[in-house]
Amino acid sequence: MSPASRNAPQFGFTLIELITALGIFLLVCAAAFTLLASSQQRYQTESQVLNSFQEARLALDQIVRDVNDAGYPPPTYAGTDPTKFASTPFAWSPNYTVPTTCTIDGSCITPGDFDIIIETNPTPQDPTSQVQWIRYQLQGTTLMRGAALKQPGNDPAIDTAAFLAPLVQNVVNNSSAAQIAQYQAAYPGMFPTGNPVPIFSYSCDTGNVPLACTAAGIDNSPANIRDVVVTLIVATALPDATTGEPRIVQLVGRGRRINPNQ
Amino acid sequence: MQIEIQGRRTHRKRRTDEGIALLISIFVLLLISVVAIALVVSSGTESALAGNYRSSTGVYYAALSGLEEARGRLLAKNPDSFTTTAPGFLPSPGTTLAIGSVAYVLNPGPTEVAANILTTYPDTEYDNEFGGGSLAGATVTTTNSVWNQTPLNGLNIPGPLYKWARINAVSEKSLNIDVDADGNPDSITPLYYDGAHFSNNPAVGPQVLEITSLAALPNGSQKLLQYLAAPVPITLPPFLGALTLSGSPANGAAFHAPASNSLYAIKGNDQDCNGSLTGLNYLAVGVFTNADKNAVINGIPPPVRASYTGFNSAPDVANITPAFPASLETPSQLDALAQTIAQSADVTIPSGPITYPLPTVTGSALTPLGMSSTNLLTVVVNGNLDISNWSNDGYGLLLVIGKFTYDPDTTWNGIILVIGQGQVDGSHAQFKEINGAMLVAKTRNSAGNLLPGSNLGGASVQFSDSMQGYGVRYSNCWIQKSQPSSNFKILSFHEISQ
Repeated sequence: MSPASRNAPQFGFTLIELITALGIFLLVCAAAFTLLASSQQRYQTESQVLNSFQEARLALDQIVRDVNDAGYPPPTYAGTDPTKFASTPFAWSPNYTVPTTCTIDGSCITPGDFDIIIETNPTPQDPTSQVQWIRYQLQGTTLMRGAALKQPGNDPAIDTAAFLAPLVQNVVNNSSAAQIAQYQAAYPGMFPTGNPVPIFSYSCDTGNVPLACTAAGIDNSPANIRDVVVTLIVATALPDATTGEPRIVQLVGRGRRINPNQ
Repeated sequence: MQIEIQGRRTHRKRRTDEGIALLISIFVLLLISVVAIALVVSSGTESALAGNYRSSTGVYYAALSGLEEARGRLLAKNPDSFTTTAPGFLPSPGTTLAIGSVAYVLNPGPTEVAANILTTYPDTEYDNEFGGGSLAGATVTTTNSVWNQTPLNGLNIPGPLYKWARINAVSEKSLNIDVDADGNPDSITPLYYDGAHFSNNPAVGPQVLEITSLAALPNGSQKLLQYLAAPVPITLPPFLGALTLSGSPANGAAFHAPASNSLYAIKGNDQDCNGSLTGLNYLAVGVFTNADKNAVINGIPPPVRASYTGFNSAPDVANITPAFPASLETPSQLDALAQTIAQSADVTIPSGPITYPLPTVTGSALTPLGMSSTNLLTVVVNGNLDISNWSNDGYGLLLVIGKFTYDPDTTWNGIILVIGQGQVDGSHAQFKEINGAMLVAKTRNSAGNLLPGSNLGGASVQFSDSMQGYGVRYSNCWIQKSQPSSNFKILSFHEISQ
């Protein structure tokens, strides 16, 4: 070591300075990564909520559009070929013979709280098109959709069953009592009665005013359905990553059948 | 010590700018930015989804409003009807709209021009139905929507966002529906509606009209909806006599004319709307049994029986059962007709459901309606109507389901139906008359229950001996003018995917 270097001032950091700086750095990094981790969790949860919301919204739009178009074309168009006109706006099961022989929330298996079959021709401009039975049915927590060509004499519930495909996942309208209690704890306003919430609730024409079909007396029949209120409650696939609680979204829409009663 | 530190700092500043504080700052800022952007992106997606739903619902109802405006204005009684506000837009009611004639209701927004609407929002659907080039060869008429006419255009409120509504005729070919079941939807003649089905035959009923509406929102959402609609007239019973009284063998009709008023008479000699005889003769009084025929004649003071002229020799009272439609000869059938009329009434007094015992309405309730020879109304009174001392004139169709108390200080030009309690009385002075026809039928008991079975109840028309007035004069002109409005019934509805 030359005298010059020995006499030169020592400009390095002291150990204490380094440790202090490193400590501050680690603290800042820890804070930043904690924030990042919680943000990522939040982002993942919100993405799931959005996905569920979007899936449910698309389904709701489609259901409402199908309900609005139910019963097209009516039998006034041509009375000979039943595959070319809708006998009724909404089909039913069992005993699909016109006039109706079943009542909603009574002897009808469909239409019901979680099951509906719409009779319409969605593509009337196509010369070869026929009237279809379009069914929405909740199976477990999956809302299924399926369309079958109308076949006179067949049971629409049986015909459509073969074509059902998943439309919306994690639909929790028909949850168990324990699950409903869990949802209510996180969302006090949902499931107001503590019971499953029907996806489809109906009002029927009763001459002058539409009434809830269950209150419509002799007019309680699938052929008289005027409005269908669609309530979809969907949950995210995984619970909230930060709180561990379920995340659910409720969407409500209303379809109004405009085509005439038959 | 202090001096040393100062010296070192001075020295370091001078030698180099090394340090990691800036790097740490940048790194932390980067992290925070990523989180912030993620949050912004996520909330942005949520807003877009909510916006999509709002616009798809909004555009649906905007298009529906276009359909409803066109359907409403097809009705001749609508104050904004095309007949009144846009002569020449459509052929006059009852005349066929030809295939190839297309009428557009235009609804430009505040910054748009009506003349450009069909260029900005072209109608491609017409050619889909009628074949390529059809619209170019069509006869097109246009009119503005009510939102672009006074008084609504002067209001600073935004109208519905539909752009146009098209009205046109349809054919088997355009609908792609085999109406005549010949195995081929080939006909290109207009379709008509016989009350149950479509037909190529113009004789079966009114024409089927197609209404198509396009709505477009500023964000680009568009929706195309379509109605088929046809007017459904209400078929009234034929007025075979100036006065028709219901009755059956079990339930006889009652009639009592004012004995002290020799000027009172019911005449079946047809008058025009000015009161001049046309030369056509109908019955003076029509009843449903021979026993009622005698009962009515006995109710007419012998000195004035010769004044009850009409189709037969005076007093012209006859049993109309052979000529009256069998489909209207039971209480339930006649009552159903009354309910049909009530559904399309211009005015219902009092509003709300019918309650028994029936409320009584006085003539003053009719005054604000402003009835005149050019404003004939269908007025339904869900109760008793007492027009004593009203001293105004009535025009149109009057349906009273309770008791009708007439006062001859009123002229009624049109049709009076008293269906329900089937009871008419009167006792006042003045000399006016009823021009048109009157039908009195008992279909319900005093509690409001429909009479059971097929026997009509016995109508009761009993005026006091001192009542003045000239009576009833048959007038086919007023009967025709008073026919209740038909509705344009929606025969079908669907959304056209674009």
